[in-house]
Parts: sequence; C-alpha cells; structure tokens
Amino acid sequence: MNDPILEISNVSKRYGEVTAVDDLSFDVPRGSVFGLLGPNGAGKSTTIRMIMRIIMADEGTITLDGQPVDDDRRRLIGYLPEERGLYKKMKVLEHLVYLGTIRGIKPGEAKKRSLAWLEKFELGDWATHKVEDLSKGMQQKVQLIGTILHRPQLLILDEPFSGLDPINTRALKDLLKAMSDEGVTIALSTHVLPQVDELCTHICLINRSRAILVGDLETIRRDYGGNVWRVTSDLEEPALIELPGVVSARALGDEMLVELEPDRGPRQTVQALAAHGLESFTRFVPDLENIFIRAVEEDRHAE
Amino acid sequence: MLNRILAIMRREYLERVKTKAFWISTLLVPVFLGAVMIIPAWLAARGGGDFKVGVLDFTGRFTEPVRVELGQMLERQTSTTADALEETGVVHGEQAEAIGEMAEESLLKLDLVSLEPGADPEAAREWAKEEVQNGRLDGLLVLPATLPDEGQAEYVSPNVSTFQMLSVLERAVNNVMVADRLTSAGLDPEAVGDLTRRVDLKTMKLGAKGQETHDQGQGFLVSYVFMMIIYMTVLMYGIYVMRGVLEEKSSHIVEVIISTVKPFELMLGKILGIGAVGLTQFLLWSLLMFAISAPGAAAAVGMGGLELPAVPAIQIVFFVVYFVLGFLLYGTLYAGIGAAFDTEQEAQNFQGVITMFLVVPLVLMMYILNQPDAPLSVALSLFPFFTPMLMFLRMTLTQVPAVQLAASVVIMGATILAAAWVVGKIYRVGILMHGSKPKLKDMWRWIKEA
Repeated sequence: MNDPILEISNVSKRYGEVTAVDDLSFDVPRGSVFGLLGPNGAGKSTTIRMIMRIIMADEGTITLDGQPVDDDRRRLIGYLPEERGLYKKMKVLEHLVYLGTIRGIKPGEAKKRSLAWLEKFELGDWATHKVEDLSKGMQQKVQLIGTILHRPQLLILDEPFSGLDPINTRALKDLLKAMSDEGVTIALSTHVLPQVDELCTHICLINRSRAILVGDLETIRRDYGGNVWRVTSDLEEPALIELPGVVSARALGDEMLVELEPDRGPRQTVQALAAHGLESFTRFVPDLENIFIRAVEEDRHAE
Repeated sequence: MLNRILAIMRREYLERVKTKAFWISTLLVPVFLGAVMIIPAWLAARGGGDFKVGVLDFTGRFTEPVRVELGQMLERQTSTTADALEETGVVHGEQAEAIGEMAEESLLKLDLVSLEPGADPEAAREWAKEEVQNGRLDGLLVLPATLPDEGQAEYVSPNVSTFQMLSVLERAVNNVMVADRLTSAGLDPEAVGDLTRRVDLKTMKLGAKGQETHDQGQGFLVSYVFMMIIYMTVLMYGIYVMRGVLEEKSSHIVEVIISTVKPFELMLGKILGIGAVGLTQFLLWSLLMFAISAPGAAAAVGMGGLELPAVPAIQIVFFVVYFVLGFLLYGTLYAGIGAAFDTEQEAQNFQGVITMFLVVPLVLMMYILNQPDAPLSVALSLFPFFTPMLMFLRMTLTQVPAVQLAASVVIMGATILAAAWVVGKIYRVGILMHGSKPKLKDMWRWIKEA
C-alpha cells in the first residue's frame, strides 16, 4: 500500500477571503477505488480541478507516479468533470475521435477504439448519429468512453453518478468494478454515500476545506464501529445490559446493537444469549453514511 | 501542442464547412453581388418596348416637330449601342451579334397618334383618356394651347414608371419647345445647339507608376463593395467565434476539453479554425465570381455600356491581409465576450461596444472619401480597430505610402497580440464561470489574478 499513484501534499486554494481548500494532504493508493467524500461546497471539485490543473493551487504539490503533474502528465489521467457535456451537433464517432486526438491518440487508432467501446455499450448503431439524437443516458456513456479512450491508469470522476437513473448507476458501477479489476485506479468524488459504499476501498472525507478522515475503509469502519455487535434474540434492552461484558444496547430496526467492553471477545456474551432464543450475532460494520455523519459532527464539536 | 491546436482547428473548420448555412451563404453572396452589379445596367437598357402615345395638341402645330425630333433621338439610340459595343472590343463575332440582337429587342419604339382636339378641350381630353383606359393607347400627351410660352405638357398613363420612354419623350418635347422659342427670338436653333454643347468630364485615375486609367467611379464602387465585405465578414465570423465559445460553455463541454488542452490553445484553435472557414468562403466566392463574371461582364457591357473595372492586385492582397488581421483582432475580442457570459442576451451590451468599433469606420467614411490624405484620415486609418476598413478604403482612393501600409500591419499585429494576452486571461477564468453575470470590474480582477 505504500505505492501511491497520486499524492496530494499540503495543497491550499484561496479565492480572496474564502478558503476553498486548506492544507489538504492525501494519497491515492495504486489500484484502489478512492472516494473523495464530503458535503456540498466542502472543496471536492476544487481539489479535483487542481489535480487536473484546470485551476492552479496556491500552495502545495500534486504528483502522479512520483512526478509533479504538468500539462503533459495530466493527460495520462482520465477525467470526467462534474460539468460535462458534448458538442451536440457532432456525430458520435467523430466526437469520440476528436476527444481521442486531443489526448494524443492517432485518429485511426482513436476510431478503432471508439467503435469497440460503442459496440460494448450497445451504441454501435448510433456511431453516425448526431449527439443530440441520443438519450441522456446514451450521452453519458459516450462521455465516459471519451474519458477512458486513452486507457488511463488513473480515472478521476467528479460526481459520476449525479443525473444517472438507477439502471445507469448500476451499469457505471459495474464498469468501474471491471476497470478496477483490470488494475485501473479510480478516484471519485460524491456527496451521496450509499452509491459508493460498496465500491470504495479508500476514502478521504473533506469537510469545510479540510480533510477530516483519510485511510482505507476497512480500518476506518473498524475504528468507527468499535466493539459493537448486531444481535437478534428474545431479549430487549434492559435484559441485554445485564449480560456479561455488555456496556450498552439499543435497537436498530428488528435487531439490537450491543456494545461490549473494549478488547473483550464475544464468546461469553454469545453463550449467555444462547438460552434466550439467539438467532444471529454478527459484528456491526457502520456504513459510510454513519461514519460520515459522525466525523462531520465530531469536526464541528472540535471547532 | 501544435497537434492539439490543429485538431481543434480541424474540428472548428469541418463542423462549420459541413453546415448548410455555409454553402447557402457561399452561393447566395456572389449571386447577390452579381445582381447588384448587373441588374441596374440590365434594367437601364431594358427600358425599351413598343409605345403608342396619343397626342392632344391644342396648339395645333407641335405634333409633327415632336414626331421628327423623336425619330432622330431613337435613331441615335440604335447607333450608340452599336458604337459602344464596337468601342469596348470585349466582345467579338457571334457574341457581338447575339448581344446586338438583344440590344435590338430592347430598343424603344414610340408611335405618336395625332388626336383631334375638337371644339371642346375637356370633352376631347375625356375621350382620349377613355382610349388609354381601354388600352388602345399606352399614354396620352397633352400639349396645352399656352405652349411654348407658358404651361406644361402633360403625360397621362396608367403606367408612369416607364422611365426611359418618359425621358425620351420629355426631351423631345423640350427640344421642340426650346427650338420654337429660339426661332421666335430670331435665333437659329441649330447654331445655338452647337454653341451650347455640353462638355463632359473624363475622369482618369493616376496610378502609382504614372499610368492613367479611365475610371468613372466604378473602381471605387468595387472597392466600396470589398470594404463592405470586410466589414460584414469580420463581424459575421467574429460573432461565430463568440457563439462557439458560448456553446462550449452552455453545453458544459469546455471543462472536458481544457482538462486536456490549455484554455489558450482552445481559444487559438477556435479562432484560427473559424478564420480558415472565412478564407475558404472568400476563395469559393472569387471562383464563383470569376465563373459568372465572364458572361456577366459581357452582358453588362453590351446592355448598359458599363465597364467592369479591374481591381489592382495589391488591393486584392491587402483585402485578404486586412480581413485576416481584422478577424484575428475582433475574433479574439468576441472570444473574450463569449467566455465571460453565459448567454448571448447577457453578452449583448459588451458585444455592442465591440461592434461599435466596426461601425464607426462606416460613419467616418465620408470624411476619408473627401480627404483621403489629410492627417486625420491617416491617423484614423492607422488606428488598429479601424485599419481593416479605413486603410483599405484609402488604398482605393489614393496612393498610400508603403510605410503607412507596413505600419498598419505592424500596429495591428501588436494589438492582436496584446488583445490575445488580455483576452486569454479573461477566457481562462470566464469559461469556468457560471451563474452571475460579470461586470467590467470582475473582468479586470480576472485579468489581474489569472
């Protein structure tokens, strides 16, 4: 894991009095699916735009494969901005070839790759249609093909799921998983957490221009989950607290969340529960949303 | 970097050349220009036709003299056309014959029918009007008894826009009346005619090498048309640039592009690509004009005696140079405006300011026309925003010193670079801005910060 493909170090950006990004540092490990999370206006898009040199950082360094990102190196990244669109009057294939050529692919090669991708996305029949004739979902696919046409090893997607219907959201997730399996590093930003909960291996949570939580998701979940277990049995809260090692208990839907003393194994508790109709006993893994809300709240209290 | 700019240029160029609008304007403009040049000549010559005009002569003695005078004038008309054809030497053999026949057909024939004035002038007039109304006569010429000393001859017809016939008839009546007065005063009309013959001014344009060319203003007319073409195309293609930038902004594609190419490269590629479309259009226009001008010129000469002037090569060269420079300057400014605003409506005020700079030369034209060498004219034509039109205009009017031409190109070049530098900064910030409409103050801040 000590092989970051992208390193952000002490990056800041100010607009007059407003600080958009404040001394931000994080690494994107090679091969990871990296979630850049945070509420609206936290500075996610500003950070991504600085990586892509669309705006310049006031301070700090950004490196790709250990080298500072410059105008040539940034073309190695596949970037899908939040503000995205296509030339409406252009034909689909010509548009893709254009996007390929400005990224340095030869027109013939760009055409070959575009056609292959269009087939894969079941858009083969649309190659000679104008972009404006395509449905929004199809345009999104064309947009994505344009982003990955030059076979980037790092894909940066800014709010990739915004504006997608559930079917296309699913399709995009599947594609990202497939690309991740092929070794492509994927960094994406979002404020809608359930969408990426299943995808991300690493996250950086940004709040009020600063990173408040960075790391691999498993560790973070364990830290935030604590020694908490999901229990289904006949017992309600007061009775559960009487059991050995239990610190607290509360309801979560049909289940109970039972917190044990730190560093205490669950064996004794399970044995005690066996006599009370125990159906299931599993470790509680907090979802991203729980972590997110808790981290943001702690950040506010820290102020 | 060059490859990417070329790719952008290529897209801008092809996307526009492939549109119907491009081909329609490419075809229509030469047709329109040709029509403007040929139709007046054609119409002037086309004044012919057969006319049967009744004459109510209350003096009782002028019908015959007017008929004789008309006969002589119509005779002259025929020989003039033949002479003009011979003189030009543009057409020979069969072509000349064909044009001669066309001219023959377009000749004016005027029959005068003498009507009996009768005892009651009013009744006679009413009856004659009836004849015109019925279509047995094309018109009615009334010569009141008070002529030639007082009063006016009258022409009554449902169609009073047969200008050539009217002018011939008017001149014939006038000549007869004047001759009559001269005779009454004891003078010989022919002697007077000889003595008061007009002297026409023959205008010769003095060229740089001292050569004299016959020019009745057609040369200027063509230059004026060329200047208007510079004005219209710079404006049109400049606004194409602005719309192109606005389109990239409103369709949100711009961020995709500038994550790969620098904003300045995108701006440059767009301006150059659209400029190439303009040059292509000029090329097609000149080919089309050349294709239709050979027969067109022959027809125009044959019918109206109008010579099509030759435009000196240096003017053609500077026409292209000033279009290119003018487009680069205004195209850059329009690109900045497109980048700063979200919609064409919002951009309107600033667009108006830029367009003003293009319109002002049209207003200043009269001054330059009268004094092309005055210091103020020189200064105005060196002002880079006016140079493409005013320096070109001066070139057609006078011999502009080479040093002034060179200076105009250098000054414009420097202005274009300065504009590109400033606009590049506005562009860089502006294309990512959405929502609030920027003020001049904001743009100034962008220039300072970028």
